[in-house]
Amino acid sequence: MFTDLSMVVFTVFAQMSVGAFIVLGAVQVYARVQGGRSAEDVDRVTDPALYAVGVTLALGLIASIFHLGTPMNAINVLRHVDSSWLSREIAFGLAFAGLGFVFAATQYFKWGSAALRQALAALTALVGVGLVVSMSMIYASLDAVPAWSTWVTPAQFAITTLLLGSLAVGAAFMGTVMWRRRQAADEEAEEPTTDAGDLETISTSLKGIAVASIVLLGAAFVVIPLHLNELSQGGAAAVASAEVFSGAMFALRLALVFLGAGLLGFFVYRFAARMESNPQPLAVVATVAFGLVFVGEFIGRSLFYESMTRIGM
Amino acid sequence: MATQLGFYFDQTRCNGCKACQVACKDKHDLPVGVTWRRVAEHGGGSWQSDGDTFSPSVFATYMSTACNHCERPVCAEVCPTTAMHQRDDGVVAVDDDLCVGCRYCEWACPYSAPQYNAELGSMTKCDLCTDYREEGLEPACVAGCPSRALDWGPIDELRERYGDVDAIEPLPDPAITEPRLVITPHRDAQMTGSGTGTIKNPLEV
Amino acid sequence: MTAISDHPTSSDASPGGISRRSFLKWSAVAGGGVALVSGTRQLGLLPGAGLSASAQEEASGVETIWSSCNVNCGSRCPLRMQVADGRVVRVLPDNTGDDALGSQQVRACVRGLSYRQRLYSPDRIKTPMRRVGERGSGDWEEISWEEAYDEIADSMKRIIEEYGNEALYLNYGTGTLGGTITSSWPPISTPFSRLFSLAGGYLNHYADYSTAQIQGAVQYHYGGWIGSNSLDDAKNANLVVMFGNNPFETRMSGGGEIYVSQQTREQAKVKTIIIDPRYSDTAMGLGDEWVALRPGTDSALVAGMAHVMITEDLVDQEFLDRCCQGYDDEHLPDGVPAGSSYKAYILGDGPDGEAKTPEWAAPITGVPAGTITRLAREIATTKPVLINQGWGPQRHVNGENQARAIFTLCALTGNVGIPGGGTGEREGSYGLPLANPFVIDNPVEASIPVFAWTDAVEKGPEMTATNAGVRGVDRLEVPIKFILNYASNALVNQHGDINRTIELLKDDSKCEMIVNVENRMTVSARYADIVLPDTTNAEQMDLASQGSAGNMGYAILASQVIEPLYDCRTVYEMCTELAKRLDIEEEFTEGRTQEEWIRHILDASREDIPDLPSFEDFKEMGIWREPNPPEVGYVPLQDFREDPEEHPLPTPSGRIEIFSSELWEMAETWELPEGQRITALPEHLSMQESAEVARSDDTYPLQCIAHHVKQRTHSTYGHIPWLEEAHPHVAWIHPWDAEERGIANDEKMYVFNDRGRIRVSARVTNRIAPGTVSVPHGAWYEPDEQGVDVGGSPNTLTSWLQSPIHKGNAQHTMLVQVERA
Ligand SMILES: Nc1nc2c(c(=O)[nH]1)N[C@H]1C(S)=C(S)[C@@H](COP(=O)(O)OP(=O)(O)OC[C@H]3O[C@@H](n4cnc5c(=O)[nH]c(N)nc54)[C@H](O)[C@@H]3O)O[C@H]1N2
Ligand SMILES: Nc1nc2c(c(=O)[nH]1)N[C@H]1C(S)=C(S)[C@@H](COP(=O)(O)OP(=O)(O)OC[C@H]3O[C@@H](n4cnc5c(=O)[nH]c(N)nc54)[C@H](O)[C@@H]3O)O[C@H]1N2
Ligand code: SF4
Ligand code: SF4
Ligand code: SF4
Ligand code: SF4
Ligand code: SF4
Ligand SMILES: [Mo]
Repeated sequence: MFTDLSMVVFTVFAQMSVGAFIVLGAVQVYARVQGGRSAEDVDRVTDPALYAVGVTLALGLIASIFHLGTPMNAINVLRHVDSSWLSREIAFGLAFAGLGFVFAATQYFKWGSAALRQALAALTALVGVGLVVSMSMIYASLDAVPAWSTWVTPAQFAITTLLLGSLAVGAAFMGTVMWRRRQAADEEAEEPTTDAGDLETISTSLKGIAVASIVLLGAAFVVIPLHLNELSQGGAAAVASAEVFSGAMFALRLALVFLGAGLLGFFVYRFAARMESNPQPLAVVATVAFGLVFVGEFIGRSLFYESMTRIGM
Repeated sequence: MATQLGFYFDQTRCNGCKACQVACKDKHDLPVGVTWRRVAEHGGGSWQSDGDTFSPSVFATYMSTACNHCERPVCAEVCPTTAMHQRDDGVVAVDDDLCVGCRYCEWACPYSAPQYNAELGSMTKCDLCTDYREEGLEPACVAGCPSRALDWGPIDELRERYGDVDAIEPLPDPAITEPRLVITPHRDAQMTGSGTGTIKNPLEV
Repeated sequence: MTAISDHPTSSDASPGGISRRSFLKWSAVAGGGVALVSGTRQLGLLPGAGLSASAQEEASGVETIWSSCNVNCGSRCPLRMQVADGRVVRVLPDNTGDDALGSQQVRACVRGLSYRQRLYSPDRIKTPMRRVGERGSGDWEEISWEEAYDEIADSMKRIIEEYGNEALYLNYGTGTLGGTITSSWPPISTPFSRLFSLAGGYLNHYADYSTAQIQGAVQYHYGGWIGSNSLDDAKNANLVVMFGNNPFETRMSGGGEIYVSQQTREQAKVKTIIIDPRYSDTAMGLGDEWVALRPGTDSALVAGMAHVMITEDLVDQEFLDRCCQGYDDEHLPDGVPAGSSYKAYILGDGPDGEAKTPEWAAPITGVPAGTITRLAREIATTKPVLINQGWGPQRHVNGENQARAIFTLCALTGNVGIPGGGTGEREGSYGLPLANPFVIDNPVEASIPVFAWTDAVEKGPEMTATNAGVRGVDRLEVPIKFILNYASNALVNQHGDINRTIELLKDDSKCEMIVNVENRMTVSARYADIVLPDTTNAEQMDLASQGSAGNMGYAILASQVIEPLYDCRTVYEMCTELAKRLDIEEEFTEGRTQEEWIRHILDASREDIPDLPSFEDFKEMGIWREPNPPEVGYVPLQDFREDPEEHPLPTPSGRIEIFSSELWEMAETWELPEGQRITALPEHLSMQESAEVARSDDTYPLQCIAHHVKQRTHSTYGHIPWLEEAHPHVAWIHPWDAEERGIANDEKMYVFNDRGRIRVSARVTNRIAPGTVSVPHGAWYEPDEQGVDVGGSPNTLTSWLQSPIHKGNAQHTMLVQVERA
């Protein structure tokens, strides 16, 4: 278990960042097109989460350094972009981080026009997708590892990206709401801490997130049996890999993800309506849901690395 | 293209003694856990019993492998730093100055040829004893095999002399890397993918 | 193993009409040799590497020096050690000779190539030490060499004074063989023998842990060692049958029998049948068919085959009539009742009235009756058949009869004394007749069976010629009081029943002084009173005689490679210093240094081997070969077969004694332990802890053997990281037996009986017969707090059980139970 902790942290955090970034983009688009809100208004909702994404990605990248035997040579990893998915991953990772940083800076300082920033965001998201794709190709292209060299790897990475991204955004939104309330309470402010429009946006977003996570949960529960079936049909190495996906840790992982995504889906509608008066239940549910799924995915990723059984000798 | 080098392994002569493995370790001062040449025992079969008697119908073979300096070195393909590279003579080696120790090549190679040295923080592997060959000496494993089961040389010549068998269990499908390896199979050798046997000494390979 | 001179037949009378010279040269027993060797410091050149390499060496300060590996593995390999700054930095195999039999390159095996890790092992003993506290407590104080010499010499003097020289014992130990000065066995050729003999002598032992029972068998069957046809003679055979013979694991040198048998097989492609409870590496690499049988039941298998051959009229009656005693009642010696012949035994006309049909043999051996019948027909109708045995079948409580049964198979089929045939003994091989003027006689006549020394410590004077096989005297005068244990782990680890042996040794009122001369802190060294740190052969010079290598003779002049490490000293120096204190220094050294002895030995050997190079040339060469003409394999007893009257065997009848007159008498006169028998015929005997007992024993239903393995030579080369990694210590168990006990491959299991319990990794493998487990011997005993041996030495489970005739170590005979750990 957790044999390759740094890789688990790196991939989970990086994917969560990409997912969150994309979800934030979706919130932006949705709130402005459907909700008719101004860029400024939506930014107020999304910016705190955006900065959290930056922190998460940075943590992931730092973790990845610990995977290296000779970090001093890290600069060399870009040398083989023309052939190595790992080089590409790092290139995309750095590009995503760089663009994300620039984008965050423009948001913070309100540099440039909204359209320009939007274009920048879209580009960043695209690079993020590139990051997840190259990340999954690292594994999916290894003919020697049957558990990895399957369409399941990109599918699972995509699911993780969006699932964790959505839930993280949900938790971040509610966290921001609660934090502002707490601050307001401390300062005994008169004004409502979060403006009603923002709350509306958040409530709608959470409903969307809930729907998304249930859909993704469904997808995960389709992909997993297909993967196991594929492995059971494979050679000795594939069958040996499949053993990893049978123990208590695997069951725990499924239970956590199921509970997390399911919980949110179930309660969010009930609590979203009452959010304005009392956001606390929703905040708790959103956070717990994120926590459960995060732990579940973390375990899942560890199992993924553990399933590395090569063919041959 | 210059001559491409490879290995020959006569499985009919191999008794799994691992002199090759240790010759390599002594030559390259390799610590326990870093083993450039390894020997697997592959076997299977069954027994029948009848009252107080029994009869075996079993098989077992040994397989000694290092790096096959493949036609399609996936290790080098995936290496992000180009530390893992193929030379003109086909020999695939690691450039210490470039290697970042990400171990990606290790995942990619179905022969477990790249061996990570945690002390050095970098990948290491068989370089076909480049320095010995430059001095006109045989690679340590080849010179050390008591049964003369190993040979090396231009792969064309080896294939001409010994044929072109390279798909023997427990080796992987040669299509993955196109190894420069020729084997004279033991009578009990099983074709790759036959699924008739298993590796009996998994902790040693 | 064995120096030929130690075997019963190596006396002056050359058996079977072999001339003295050829007899000396054809060592019937591989592995030892009357060796003589010494080494000198030699500047190595790397033949084959060419000038540039040497030049490069010089530039880089690396020197290559010839040394050798002198362990008791039956082979003997030169090692080219590369030295930089006084440290060995690389160990290279032989690079001289070629691939042809007769001049083959003698490539070191996996162990020799890891020599560096043995040389620099952290368990090297660094200074002389004296025990403080109880024997075996593990508490030591470092002492000076002077103190050590004084104490040992005083103790020797006191014990000689108090008990006589018979109380001194040189224990069996084969850690350094092949050399002349550094030879640790046989006792007579050790430097300590020279020292003790000059001091009045010591209690001798006969036979060895390797071959005790087969030595007992050949003595009564053929009159002495003759060996079987050499393995390269398989080219003249049409079938090869090997009983428990495993050269692929026990003769691993690239110049040794594995190479000889592989090459011969490739050239002659003769069908080979391997009879062994394990699908050994030899069965895999040399065999075409594997017959799996229960350990200790070869004699039953042969009886079952004999029944087929006799009833189907397939035996070589002419040969049996002409050359053998006791095949049928017509050829029994006078005064022996009818029904005592082998034929009567087989057909059920003897005293037991039981016909030894294949159906009788099947449940005993585990081999189906149909297989026995088929084998019998194939062996009897193919001509010639090369038949030999390793020493696995005889290292059993019924080992003498096991061995004799296999000899008898050769007589029944008339394969003795012909090219491509065999005697059923182990393969012979060519050997150089090196002289050994360093050796002198031991004035004490008394000699005990090699495995009986623990008895002699416990109850020496109760041991007689007829109850314990004591030789030279009728009864021992005194128990053993002083043990010198040189290059031996047989004081504890390699002897039977370790826990019992330790109990015996702990009582220092019994054996009063134990001196251990060692390189490493071994299990045996733990039980010594004084430990002396010996130099390894890399730290001194010696001349090493060859191992078993088909028809090639060779010797190695092993130079000193590095200065002695730590405070280690050579045995020659130790003996000289002790001699000084015993006032026999002059006699001991004859004024020679070690190197001068080696020169002297070379000169003396040149009488029989005129081509032996000069000392200086030899140092340069490292290894020197003298091939026999390659067409000639070793074919023993040809003269005898042609004319047994003219060339009789040294048996009472001069014939091959299928019925042994001497054993017939011993059966009457010897006192045997409960349950044991001596039989004039090679009958199948079920005695203590046999296959038959296992089948009805619910507590200990599994037979356990302890095969010799690639990781170690016995316990030497144990605890070497590269070797433990390459060949981890795993005990073999059949999938059926493992499954029944819930044990999976590479999981830990306990193997135990009333004598002890070990914890060991399981190799669940269908390469072993059901009902048999094998715990490879030589693992270092390592008890935990509960007394469980987590080192996994099989001798935690073996006993002091001895075979009836030669009182040999029955170390492949034990019953055990296994459970998941
Ligand atoms: N259960 C079981 N037990 C067996 C056997 C079996 O089949 N089963 N086989 C038996 C047989 S055939 C034999 S021959 C014996 C072997 O038993 P031993 O003759 O005791 O052989 P080793 O265990 O190798 O022990 C030799 C010792 O010599 C030491 N040594 C090595 N080189 C040198 C040196 O240069 N100088 C000194 N002073 N010491 C050195 C080593 O460190 C080692 O401790 O074991 C017997 N024991
Ligand atoms: N690598 C290595 N080589 C060695 C040694 C070592 O320790 N390691 N030791 C050396 C020494 S001193 C000796 S004496 C020799 C030992 O040489 P051997 O005595 O010949 O070796 P073992 O492994 O005891 O037995 C040989 C075979 O007999 C089988 N066997 C056991 N019992 C029976 C039986 O009842 N019937 C039959 N048919 N087969 C049986 C075993 O499974 C094994 O495969 O090896 C020498 N060579
Ligand atoms: S040294 Fe030769 S015989 Fe021994 S394992 Fe290696 S290839 Fe096989
Ligand atoms: S064997 Fe493995 S490491 Fe060697 S070249 Fe082929 S893929 Fe690369
Ligand atoms: S470990 Fe080194 S050689 Fe292997 S892929 Fe990474 S950088 Fe390349
Ligand atoms: S060629 Fe050299 S580096 Fe490669 S396995 Fe053989 S000894 Fe090791
Ligand atoms: S253990 Fe025996 S075969 Fe191996 S190197 Fe030493 S002498 Fe040669
Ligand atoms: Mo032995």
